[in-house]
Amino acid sequence: MARYIFVRVLDSIPTILLVLTLVFLAMRILPGDPAIAVLGENAQPETIARFREQFGLNDPLWLQYLHFLGDVFTFDFGNSLVKSAPVSTLIANNLPYTIELTIAAMLIGITFGIPMGVMAAVKRNKLPDNAFRVFSLVGYAVPDFYLGAVLLLTFSLGLGWFPINGVGTDFVSRMHHIALPALTLAMLKMAFIGRLTRTSLLEVLGRDYVRTARAKGASERRVVYRHGLRNALLPLSTGLGLSILSTLSGSVAVELVFNRPGIGRLLIEAITERDYPVIQAGVVVFALVVVIVNLLMDLVYVAVDPRIRVQ
Amino acid sequence: MSAPLLNVESLCVEFGPKSAPIRVINSVNLRVDAGEAVGIVGESGSGKSITSLSILRLVPEPPSRIASGRIEFEGRDLLAMPKSQLRHMRGRDIAMIFQEPMSSLNPVMTVEAQIGEAIMLHQRLGRAERRARVIELLRLVGIPDPESRLKAYPHQFSGGMRQRVMIAIAVACNPKLLIADEPTTALDVTIQAQVLDLMKDVRRKLNTAILLISHDLGVIAEVCERVLVMYAGHVVEDADIRSLFENPQHPYTRGLLRAVPSLTDEHPRLYQIPGSVPQAGSIRQGCPFYARCDLRQDICARAMPAMSTHGARHVAACWATQSMPEVRSA
Repeated sequence: MARYIFVRVLDSIPTILLVLTLVFLAMRILPGDPAIAVLGENAQPETIARFREQFGLNDPLWLQYLHFLGDVFTFDFGNSLVKSAPVSTLIANNLPYTIELTIAAMLIGITFGIPMGVMAAVKRNKLPDNAFRVFSLVGYAVPDFYLGAVLLLTFSLGLGWFPINGVGTDFVSRMHHIALPALTLAMLKMAFIGRLTRTSLLEVLGRDYVRTARAKGASERRVVYRHGLRNALLPLSTGLGLSILSTLSGSVAVELVFNRPGIGRLLIEAITERDYPVIQAGVVVFALVVVIVNLLMDLVYVAVDPRIRVQ
Repeated sequence: MSAPLLNVESLCVEFGPKSAPIRVINSVNLRVDAGEAVGIVGESGSGKSITSLSILRLVPEPPSRIASGRIEFEGRDLLAMPKSQLRHMRGRDIAMIFQEPMSSLNPVMTVEAQIGEAIMLHQRLGRAERRARVIELLRLVGIPDPESRLKAYPHQFSGGMRQRVMIAIAVACNPKLLIADEPTTALDVTIQAQVLDLMKDVRRKLNTAILLISHDLGVIAEVCERVLVMYAGHVVEDADIRSLFENPQHPYTRGLLRAVPSLTDEHPRLYQIPGSVPQAGSIRQGCPFYARCDLRQDICARAMPAMSTHGARHVAACWATQSMPEVRSA
């Protein structure tokens, strides 16, 4: 088990390196001179030369690359060009809010998505299944920025039940603030997780061992939850990983609509302001999150499926 | 004659939409007495598996459904019973073993949990007693060193061992009837013999009646006293195993017996019944074996023959042989 985890962690190192290399190259290939971007079109040639010297832009590419890697591994992404703060501080200040939002949205998505999917699978082609089909279609079709705006207008501005923006301080007010943004992200998750649960459960319920469970005299409830869902969790856990990752892109819109701090909003602001160091760091963080979530999913497989455990 | 343990009368099972049903089981009668071992033999698609699944109402609904008939177990009609009540009989009074030992066990549960579940569903036993019972069952089915295998998962067992675990699950509550649907088909020949021996052993120790489904008459002859021959959803012959081998009445049964390879036979080529099994629902009238039968007459195309008696416990459904009492065939 420990060996398996160790191997999986080692496996993710090349992935991370590849991502870092791509980020590095992309920043060098993209049009525009960072020096001009920072100092402006009308900067003195001497100032530009000094800047290039100071930030190592005159060094050969491989040396720049090594510096870049060294900086990443020490979490030193330089300073923001706009916000006059170290990039690592900006990330550290914003990342927790996005994580908080992701966890809240995932909890809602799982708590409602899985039971809805189970219901739809068990009552296949009956009312609950059809109702869920409509729900999931809406969940897929309505874009998050629109849904967020509708919720905001209705429940915050209209009914005044929820705060309009910000994140809150103590636990209760944080939950109060996060409710609508999390719900916005959770709609798609409920639809996605629900449909995935339905599909994999239907597949599993046709298996021979489910028939064996019925032949033993197990109740339908026991057959579905104990024998069915446990096996359906395997494909489901892949989906949950994907769903966590989709929050990253979802957070961009939702954090803007609800005016919440977070990594998504930080990145969007950095892009509009051409804040290269922040963009670079943001992409690295996103990539790391993807790798880490995939790693976690692999470990979930091991926990769920004994067949993987031994190999 | 005493009341039968299991009595199936005029069972019909259909597939597909109610408006255009395809009948896959047609008026099947089947009787198993307490402690008796009965076999059902037939080709793929003859309906033998569906018949066995119907008894515990395990046929998947939809698309299939039990259209009519009676299935009585100890005098109680299983078809009229609410599912909740039937559930208490599944595993306790009637247990099943399936064909695929590879896929019939839950891959994410330990064998202890799976055998223990069968006990837990029908008996009130403490944790320690249940474990002791699981070990006892594993020993009964011949799994070596059962204590150390409790926490093992199905994929850590070979096919034959998995089938032994299946049998342990099936006999966990000392059922009165054990239905085995092709229990040895997926196993190689030596393992097959071991599993058959185990079933006979279990039967002797627990006095369980057995309903054994197989396409292999040899397997059935090994375990059973009586056999039903099924063809295209019909029972075409029902006889004591000896009587069936010595004096088969239905041309299909004769064909099956002739198709068994023999070491002493001088024919270089193995006999085969010409043609193939008709598709379910394609035969609207007459005998389903008509197209492949070498004894066919005009009446065979028009009407399904009724069962005629050919001895103490021997009936067959054939127009041709019912009028020729002593046809001995090779």
